[in-house]
Amino acid sequence: LPPQFHNLQELRQSPSLATKVFIQRDYSEGTVCRFQTKFPSELGSRIERMLFEDTVKTLNTYYAEAEKVGGQSYMEGCLACATAYFIFLCMETRYEKVLKKISGYIQEQNEKIYAPRGLLLTDPVERGMRVIEVSVFEDRGSSGSSPSSNVSSGISQR
Amino acid sequence: MPGFSSGGLGEEVGGPAFSPPCPFRPSRYVPVSAATTFLVGSTTLFFCFTSPWLSEHVSSVIPIYNAVVFLFTLANFCMATFMDPGVFPRAEEDEDKEDDFRAPLYKTVEVKGIQVRMKWCSSCRFYRPPRCSHCSVCDNCVEDFDHHCPWVNNCIGRRNYRHFFLFLLSLTIHIMGVFGFGLLYILQHQHQLDSVHSSVTMATMCTAGLFFIPVAGLTGFHMVLVARGRTTNEQVTGKFRGGVNPFTNGCLRNVSHVLCSSQAPRYVGRWRGKQTVEVQPPFLRPPLAEAQLEAKVLDNGIQNDHHSTRSKSSLEQMESQSADAEPPPPPKPEVRYPGLPRADTEESSLLSEGPSTPSMYMYRPAYSSPQRNHTALTHPNKMIRGDSLDSPSILQSSRQPSYRSEPSSLDGGSVIGFAARGGERGEGPGGSSGTGGVVAGGISGYSLGGRSYTSYPSSLVLSTGGSHSSSMRSAHTHHNTLGTLQSEGTTDTSYKSLANQTPQNGSLSYDSLLTPSESPEFESAAHELSPQKPHAPATFPPAITSSPPPGVRDVPLQGYTSPFLSAQMAQQREGQLLQGSASFSSPNRAYLRAVSPPPPNPPHAAHPETQHHLLHQDSRHPHLRATSSIRPLPPVSEQPSPSSPHACSPDPPVSPPPRGRSLGKSPSYTGEAGLQLKARPMGGGSLSGGGGIGVTQAQQSTCRPGLANHSTSKPVGGVKKVTGVGGTTYKISV
Repeated sequence: LPPQFHNLQELRQSPSLATKVFIQRDYSEGTVCRFQTKFPSELGSRIERMLFEDTVKTLNTYYAEAEKVGGQSYMEGCLACATAYFIFLCMETRYEKVLKKISGYIQEQNEKIYAPRGLLLTDPVERGMRVIEVSVFEDRGSSGSSPSSNVSSGISQR
Repeated sequence: MPGFSSGGLGEEVGGPAFSPPCPFRPSRYVPVSAATTFLVGSTTLFFCFTSPWLSEHVSSVIPIYNAVVFLFTLANFCMATFMDPGVFPRAEEDEDKEDDFRAPLYKTVEVKGIQVRMKWCSSCRFYRPPRCSHCSVCDNCVEDFDHHCPWVNNCIGRRNYRHFFLFLLSLTIHIMGVFGFGLLYILQHQHQLDSVHSSVTMATMCTAGLFFIPVAGLTGFHMVLVARGRTTNEQVTGKFRGGVNPFTNGCLRNVSHVLCSSQAPRYVGRWRGKQTVEVQPPFLRPPLAEAQLEAKVLDNGIQNDHHSTRSKSSLEQMESQSADAEPPPPPKPEVRYPGLPRADTEESSLLSEGPSTPSMYMYRPAYSSPQRNHTALTHPNKMIRGDSLDSPSILQSSRQPSYRSEPSSLDGGSVIGFAARGGERGEGPGGSSGTGGVVAGGISGYSLGGRSYTSYPSSLVLSTGGSHSSSMRSAHTHHNTLGTLQSEGTTDTSYKSLANQTPQNGSLSYDSLLTPSESPEFESAAHELSPQKPHAPATFPPAITSSPPPGVRDVPLQGYTSPFLSAQMAQQREGQLLQGSASFSSPNRAYLRAVSPPPPNPPHAAHPETQHHLLHQDSRHPHLRATSSIRPLPPVSEQPSPSSPHACSPDPPVSPPPRGRSLGKSPSYTGEAGLQLKARPMGGGSLSGGGGIGVTQAQQSTCRPGLANHSTSKPVGGVKKVTGVGGTTYKISV
């Protein structure tokens, strides 16, 4: 009995997606990429407000940096023109570099903060930078599926 | 959508981050081939026949200079042609979990204080960000859509606008160079004009001269656009004529943004890294704060006992009428609406950012099976059980206004009779008349046939044309026109269109609810309902002060811009809400003034009053923004009563919804566009921005007496009876 249930239990342990929360873009300052920092109420029971807002604010900072029109972007443009845009075959644009940083940041945040809480952030660039998708996973521990919880408690005692 | 097959019950295969393939149409490649041929051919001939002599006898720099310019032109031409303009990938299915039946066609956001309308894209399944437009030729939504250029056979959008602009500049310079140096050659060879070299040079000069005028015109046009921070789409559709462009940052910044900003990333066809993060229970939980607990209690649906009895009574009435007409809804939607406002969709969270709950919804295409429509129809009944009229406001407090009001808006005929909007999908054909804007002569290159100017022009045109301006997303495959509305009297056209799609359900129950004799003041009633916040003052969006000032009832309007107002609703709105409400408190007075002109049909007497109301409101509530005049109707919480003090005339109010203009929309960005189209032949509304607001001044004027008592003072503790579309009358607590 134990091995069978154990395997099944492990199978059932992988959490299923309960819902997705979408953080929309904040267009109050134009078409600059910014996401709303307002804390969605669906996440109220899953994550602390400050953590979430920090994440979004950091993302906004990254995007602002990517879209900044300054010396580096100007030089990049000139170089591209001078090389008839062949430079794009070799070099990554500034925006892409920042996007990589963002991707790493999101990965890190997921590992450290969101996954332990049963949430996952999706990189907005996969959605065309329109939304930040937060996947909310079903919390098995509190879902009250009694057989599994009983079995797991039984197993854990061993 | 053309070129993209949808699977199953009309649900499009979203697909991960890809755009659908376009069918191969050889005619699309003719202009670009011609352009390439002329460019490369003429330059080659120039280099072969004219340059050698010039380099020998004038200067050797000339060929080098021409080569550089030509290479620059060619590089930008290739980039403009082959580069992804900024295509948005189709939204995945889970982004759009909201029932199509109840979702609004437009959502409003505020950009630098100016209301901008975001339209639902039925093919891409999301609300188009500002400045985004759907190109019917490419069948994609493009970010910062400029136009679809046939000469490069590509859309010009955010990513390749710079290349397109530089291409134009360099091409102008190149043409001037070729022509000038060719002329120099000819002048030095006047005695040898019959030689091959001279003839070829003359031919090259003719080609160059021929193309110079349109290209230079286009270049000049785009230089003006860049300086002003506008896109071709916006310029041609006249969005900012007489108004403020919220997307401009000043001439210098606009130019530097175009020329010096970093290359925007592509969204489609990206390499997706593997998701390596594992999510394993048990999960950490944050400590629940008191406020959160309270909010949860509120969210359970028992919003306001004060109104619950009324809600229930009317609800029971509806339920009894609808219950036998429809099978019980499937369990899934009930799960989705457990009393908690559902905000797990993209749109709902988008809505929550806006302060107000739309009281009126235009309906998205019922792609779903009939079952879903069942759900949509019966669900509101369940949803609104116990809901008060103030539910939208309560939603505000829980920060999920949209879902409360959505189901309620469906109740009892709250579905607004929008003329089905035809041609929304491709939006190409509709755009043809939308291009009457000021365009330089060099614009010949643009596909002014209208295909390139998508939702805005087409929608504007449709509204101005007075035929198709429904804001129903669902209706995009239908062409219910104003005539349909009129013929149906108070019957809601949207029901018909929905019935067209799903005849066996939904519409039957709603039709049974509708009382033709009653005037469709429902929307306005509902409209009032949503702003009513005597019991939940805190629910207003931050922009609104915590306690709504007396008479202010329109605050929640901010969130939504439903371009489509039923006649009654708009009239109610103007008559009652506007006077006290902040709906017109757009920071941009110019919009209000510009918006004032009344439609030709109704008595013009209504106009000054409306204007007066507008300005009156504006002065009273400057901090409130004008939003769409369409609000989602709150749940049917009042008992329908046969008599309505506002039943002006049962028929007309509903009739010209598409053309009506909504004063409420005036400050909005789209309203301005509607204003621009005044010159076009429009049935009634001169201000409607593409949305076809249902109300015309006529209705407003006719109902003026009825509204008079409301317009003067805030009704105190009373219950106002308003009639919605389709004749159901509701009592609105004030």
